[in-house]
Amino acid sequence: MKKKLIIKQTKARLSSFIFPIVLLLVWQFISSAGYASSAVVPSPNKVLKTFQILLTEQTFFLNISASLKRVMIGFLIGSSTGFLFGLLMGLSRTAEKIFAPSFHTVRQVPMIGWIPLIVMWFGMTELPRILIISIAAFYPITLNTFDGVRSVPREYLELASVYGYNRFKLIRRIILPAALPSIITGLTLSLGMSWAILMAAEIFIQTEFGIGTQIQMGRQRFNMPLVITGILTVGLLGFVMTIIIEKFARIVDRGRAIGNET
Amino acid sequence: MSVEKGTLEIKNLSKSFKVDNNLLPILNNINIKFPAGAFISIIGGSGCGKTTLLRIMLGLDTNYEGEALMDGERIEGPGSNRGIVFQDHRLLPWLTVEENVAFGLDKLNRKAKKLVVDEHIKLVGLSGFESAYPSQLSGGMAQRVAIARALANKPEILLLDEPLGSLDALTRIHMQKELERLWLLEKITMVMVTHDVDEAIYLSDKVVIMSSRPGVIKKIIDVPSSRPRDRASSEFMQIKAEILKEFHLGTEYPFAYAI
Repeated sequence: MKKKLIIKQTKARLSSFIFPIVLLLVWQFISSAGYASSAVVPSPNKVLKTFQILLTEQTFFLNISASLKRVMIGFLIGSSTGFLFGLLMGLSRTAEKIFAPSFHTVRQVPMIGWIPLIVMWFGMTELPRILIISIAAFYPITLNTFDGVRSVPREYLELASVYGYNRFKLIRRIILPAALPSIITGLTLSLGMSWAILMAAEIFIQTEFGIGTQIQMGRQRFNMPLVITGILTVGLLGFVMTIIIEKFARIVDRGRAIGNET
Repeated sequence: MSVEKGTLEIKNLSKSFKVDNNLLPILNNINIKFPAGAFISIIGGSGCGKTTLLRIMLGLDTNYEGEALMDGERIEGPGSNRGIVFQDHRLLPWLTVEENVAFGLDKLNRKAKKLVVDEHIKLVGLSGFESAYPSQLSGGMAQRVAIARALANKPEILLLDEPLGSLDALTRIHMQKELERLWLLEKITMVMVTHDVDEAIYLSDKVVIMSSRPGVIKKIIDVPSSRPRDRASSEFMQIKAEILKEFHLGTEYPFAYAI
């Protein structure tokens, strides 16, 4: 029985590799069949070699750490203010009436649309890059926190009033835990948005270090492997972040995570 | 005038809801006394206002005419002398069994809290499940936890809103025995709303029959049998027939609806 289970699990794990392998084969085929010039579509092997070289260079790690730092700071600022803002609007109908229309209007502006304005205000410095990322992180967490707070089951609120909970206790012990799955969804989306807008922030507001800088540099020098390794790095790091946040969600939301496993 | 603790009295109570500027009567002139230590069931068709009555007794609804008195004092809001078990167990999914039982025990220090929680988990027969989450429990077990949570607060009266309504038939019979055991042990007043005639007779000293639109008390039937009760005894059957008779005549004016 146990052996069967292990085989089943391994199969499930292997199956997630099938699609990337197919993609790789298609890529290999296109580059070796000569459908495109190797300058435009470098072979997987070439890209792998570039990766190996990059791993020995300090610049590569400086790029990664600059990008990660930027995202983390922007994400922390945007998601914490967004969380508080969403909570405020969720808890108070008055706050919702005052802020919601403006929020939904401003939200329509695509992230890229902010860049010229912010650059004109703050120049080509680190601040506007982080600001853009913060704005990107702000929306999803605000919306999801608001939604989570508003969809706390009426039954739970009733239970709290039966036990004489005051407002503070109600928020801390009922509303926040009940809204937690929504809040975590919001955090995940916010992180995704931060990571996505990072490229724009680094490419449009030029900087010395960053994965975006690497991609941009690759484009300017017509060094395709450099561009592709940059893109792959962004994808892989983003993937790792998603896994980390999922694990984190499972830890903080024990009760429901257990329920979903069984 | 002193009243024995655990007495709940409803006097001349009426309540209406406003629907499109029309007053829709829900409860009409309800008079009933729940004496301390009694087990009383309220039984009636849906829409007879029994859940509203329970909410008023709980203090969640204070907008009515007449009086609802707990231990001789007007009910102004929820209080720890009244506990409630809902039909849905209403356990918080992010808390373990012991955390759920401790839900209303913030006034106690950590040690006293642990003592009370352990005692009540044991009382409902769930020792060993302290750190389980609600999603890991069966319906019957979850309802036991809900009962433990209500009892942990040491209420004088326990209100039960169709507490076994969502359980399967066999678990239900088992839980009825459990409720009886807890009632005999805790010696508190219990008021249960139910749809189940057998359940009402098995557990109650008195069965209050309500009829609908507006909700009025139609009849109060005493159940004098000794405990534990035999569901197959002729006395049980007679009482059951008496209650059911009320319900067959219960939709008093069938033609009024047809017209």
